[in-house]
Amino acid sequence: MNSKAAPNASDAVYLDNAATTPLDPAVAAVMCRSLSRHGAFANPASIHIAGRASAHVVERARSQLADLVQTDPRNLIFTSGATESNNLAIVGAAHFRSHRGRHLITMPTEHKAVTDTFAALERQGFEVTWLQPDREGVLATGDLESAIRDDTQLVSIMHVNNETGVVQDIRDIGECCRRRGVLFHCDAAQSIGKLPIDLSALPIDMMSITAHKFHGPQGIGALYVADRPHCHIQPLFHGGGQERRIRPGTLAVHQIVGFGEAAAIAAERQQRDLAHLQALNDRLWRGISGLPGVLRNGSASRSFPGILNASVEDIEGESLLLALEPVCVASGSACNSRSGESSYVLRALGRDDHLAQSAIRFSFGRFTRDSDIDTAIVRYNEAVRHLRGIMPTRAA
Amino acid sequence: MSRDPYNATVRRHFANPLHAGVLQPRYPDVVTAEARESDSGFRVVLGAELDGRMMRRLRYRVFGCPHLIAAAELSCARFEGGTVESLRDVSVAELMERLEVPVEKTGRMLLLEDAARLLAAAMQDIIGRGQADETSPGEPTGM
Repeated sequence: MNSKAAPNASDAVYLDNAATTPLDPAVAAVMCRSLSRHGAFANPASIHIAGRASAHVVERARSQLADLVQTDPRNLIFTSGATESNNLAIVGAAHFRSHRGRHLITMPTEHKAVTDTFAALERQGFEVTWLQPDREGVLATGDLESAIRDDTQLVSIMHVNNETGVVQDIRDIGECCRRRGVLFHCDAAQSIGKLPIDLSALPIDMMSITAHKFHGPQGIGALYVADRPHCHIQPLFHGGGQERRIRPGTLAVHQIVGFGEAAAIAAERQQRDLAHLQALNDRLWRGISGLPGVLRNGSASRSFPGILNASVEDIEGESLLLALEPVCVASGSACNSRSGESSYVLRALGRDDHLAQSAIRFSFGRFTRDSDIDTAIVRYNEAVRHLRGIMPTRAA
Repeated sequence: MSRDPYNATVRRHFANPLHAGVLQPRYPDVVTAEARESDSGFRVVLGAELDGRMMRRLRYRVFGCPHLIAAAELSCARFEGGTVESLRDVSVAELMERLEVPVEKTGRMLLLEDAARLLAAAMQDIIGRGQADETSPGEPTGM
């Protein structure tokens, strides 16, 4: 095989849905219509008829998204994705409330879009408490309660961990924050559209969401900001009045339309999709867990079924990733990270470097088939056998 | 943007590790040497079966990335059947060029050079001891 030839994505067995999901064909169809000459291409901020037509489809999409998460559409601000939403929520809230106090709380197992944002705030003089989860990745609410101080302004805890799939008890965390008068931001990039989220009942002040993790388009997301006293954020950008002046800039209408459609489909299919993901997860774990030295990362009982993360003893992660081709997965190895280190999330869960770097995250979606899982099982078993013939054991 | 991190040579040797394995320790014919990086756990174990000053068989075990595995496979294939002294010609610079190894992997690639040098030294030591035994007065030659 000529390694310089363009890779063919149709050869891939795609099990990396936590990174991004393929677009639902129905979403692609409405986006294409929106992009056409007769679609809603005009700037929705314009007051002419074409602009008003675009504004209409934007607001319909906002309502579709609001229906999915059970909130008022006016509480949703469109952004470019979860990274921007996280930055806007965390930096915006920290600065807005900095006159009250400069103490913030999060976890080291959050996504880099959160941890790096908190690290940047630390450099600006904010004090951050980094709460450790237990060995299964779960945050004990008692630890959060103890960490909150009189000057604490913001707590940010994700819903579903992007590496392990571990689900945090965001109701309990939110109630704790409400009792202590602290804002609670939740990164729901991995759970939106996949797990039920009822913002009318959950004590959450801000929630980051994105379209491309649930078969919507890349490059579009939203930030939920609760309509509550003291729940305000400073904008990161300036230059227009869009999105309640919190996120100015011309709205990407076709992406928003796709986001809305993905939300409508997810609302309708959520239970079926969830059952499908659980069946895929169970099938894969049955197929690989019999191999000696294979360990599941994260709580089995508190994990989102769309993600299965497993390590294997005495196997190097980058080699495992190559041996698994054409199965597309994510690895905990240093080769998979820009930092050159093995997964910081798994190390925070107490996995040593050896096990963290051998971790493979399999993640499934609506379009994953049983046959994809069966291919992955065969490839994983073959890959581990192949590499055990090459690699010395740690004890040897 | 992502590009394929492995060229065709790396992929071929990674998929066909003909020299991977362990030689049965039949002293004094089999010599092994090992180099490891303690932080990362990367490790290269080389084994040689001696036939006088020749390396009749060379085998490796590698805990490492595809580039390091391919480098070990290439080296064993090249030096098997050669003299003990030839093992000192293992050149990481040459291997890195041929396998298009990213520069940030230089440290782990040097493990192969270290293991090869340790193996060569261990083999020289055994050969030297054998020669000393042969020349010792009063020692049986075993012939």
